[in-house]
Amino acid sequence: MSLAPLLRKVLLVDLLKGLSVTFKYQHPKEIQTEQYPMQRPEIAERYRGLPRLNVNPDNAQTLCIACDLCAIACPEHLIVVKSERNPTTKRKELISWTVDVSRCMFCGLCEEACSTDALELSQDYEFATYDRNHFILDRETLEKGTQPTVYEK
Amino acid sequence: MLQSFLSYMNSTVTPGEAGNYIWATIYILVIFAMISLCVIIMNWGERKALAHFQIRLGPMRVGPHGLLQPFADAIKLMTKEDIMPAQADKLAYWMAPYVVLVAVFTTYTVIPFGRTHAVTDMNIGIMFILGVASLEVLGIVLAGWASNSHYPLLGSLRSSAQMVSYEVAMGLTVISAIMMTSLNETGVGTLSMIGIVLAQYEQGAWFIFKFFPLGLIAFAIFAIAMVAETNRAPFDLPEAESELVAGFHTEYSGFRWSLFMLGEYAAMIAVSSVATTLWLGGWMRPFPNWLAGPTWDFIFSLFPAITFLILAGLTFYNVARMPKHPAFKIQTAGLAVFGALLGFIGLVFLIPAVRVRIFDIYWFMIKVAIFMYLYIWYRATWPRYRFDQLMKVGWKVLLPTALGVLILTAVVGVLR
Repeated sequence: MSLAPLLRKVLLVDLLKGLSVTFKYQHPKEIQTEQYPMQRPEIAERYRGLPRLNVNPDNAQTLCIACDLCAIACPEHLIVVKSERNPTTKRKELISWTVDVSRCMFCGLCEEACSTDALELSQDYEFATYDRNHFILDRETLEKGTQPTVYEK
Repeated sequence: MLQSFLSYMNSTVTPGEAGNYIWATIYILVIFAMISLCVIIMNWGERKALAHFQIRLGPMRVGPHGLLQPFADAIKLMTKEDIMPAQADKLAYWMAPYVVLVAVFTTYTVIPFGRTHAVTDMNIGIMFILGVASLEVLGIVLAGWASNSHYPLLGSLRSSAQMVSYEVAMGLTVISAIMMTSLNETGVGTLSMIGIVLAQYEQGAWFIFKFFPLGLIAFAIFAIAMVAETNRAPFDLPEAESELVAGFHTEYSGFRWSLFMLGEYAAMIAVSSVATTLWLGGWMRPFPNWLAGPTWDFIFSLFPAITFLILAGLTFYNVARMPKHPAFKIQTAGLAVFGALLGFIGLVFLIPAVRVRIFDIYWFMIKVAIFMYLYIWYRATWPRYRFDQLMKVGWKVLLPTALGVLILTAVVGVLR
């Protein structure tokens, strides 16, 4: 055995190198753990989360024109749009809009089919509930979004 | 009786030497309680430090920064069902944890935390420690055999082989340290733990720096062997979780398991204390000869108080940094009480009567704490040895080196 590897072995160089690496990891800035309810992950802008029905910010009216395109686009037929023709204005008006997110795969086809930007997949990801039926979201929830409890750090 | 109780207060020897049974009993109880407390703190410290080494946070929820986690663990272990396997050897199974525990805690009778802070000073102190500490193997073998299960049996077999082989190298290095005690004049060598520390004081050097590099090598061998002796990573083959579930204590649960853990951590503190006593000057403060005199004595005796006050300050800084959410009210208050407690201890240590009695314990504990940190650091860094590698290191590397150091120490000591 030549001298250099022998010295390396006797002086435990590799072991000491390992020790120095782990020692540096102790610095608080290295910590990767996220303390979830107080510290939330940053969600990518194009993340496909819970659907949202947008409202017109000017008059707080829904942007949905009840065209039913999203319901047709949905591969799982989860969207049910109910509408009614207003006899005075002769326009179709939205009565209810539901989606069953328990079977939704968040493919985003409904979002693409929407002609008025009313339907959008938001970045919300917290919609765990105690009941299966709560996964069928109605128009009100979809306009407001789920509102998880906010914890401060 | 009261007379003998009070008369010891001004004594300069250990209660064992003074023949004071009351104080000896008090010392035994205090040491038992303090070591158990240290094990609890060590439990939290290990989980926290190990987590930081692995870029995690560790316990954060039970109390501020998980400070109450060890107590939660303790309650869990106490209330857990205590299972005894149906085919187990009842008596041996029951006895094993107590054998380990008694063996470990008996060694503390002669470990000097200060000139007066030991139960007694035995003239064969270090031999007593080595002898009693090797009884720990018996407990582990009993546990493995009595469980009547294959993993514990394998674990205890490995453990006995490992502990017996590393005890040889350990004993040889201890002998080289003992030989150093008789250097200034031949025939004054001692096996007493207090005598070894006093010899280091008289010779004006910790034995780790004696006959450089002989003392250092002997210390290094002891430091490696003591990790193997206590079955800690990277020599944790007896309880290798990836191979043997939990080794010799696989079948143990609840309270008995916690006794094994208590024994293991107490053994770590015990061997670290031995290493401190033999090579690092025991309870002595840094530079007792070079920076001698009442002024330096005063400055160094302020260290315990300053340490506790700094800890209290850090705690209060973190109290101010706690979240202001009402859910954290109790935690913040708890942390403030903890900080106040630390500050109070710091202030008590400023009292002159307490100050002069406490500072040797402080330096001893600092040195032992460094070893404890090293134990965690090793565990976070190094992978486990294979069994044949373990035996190779023990018999082919450590034993010949220890023998060589022993012979060289003897030769250099005589030539001088």
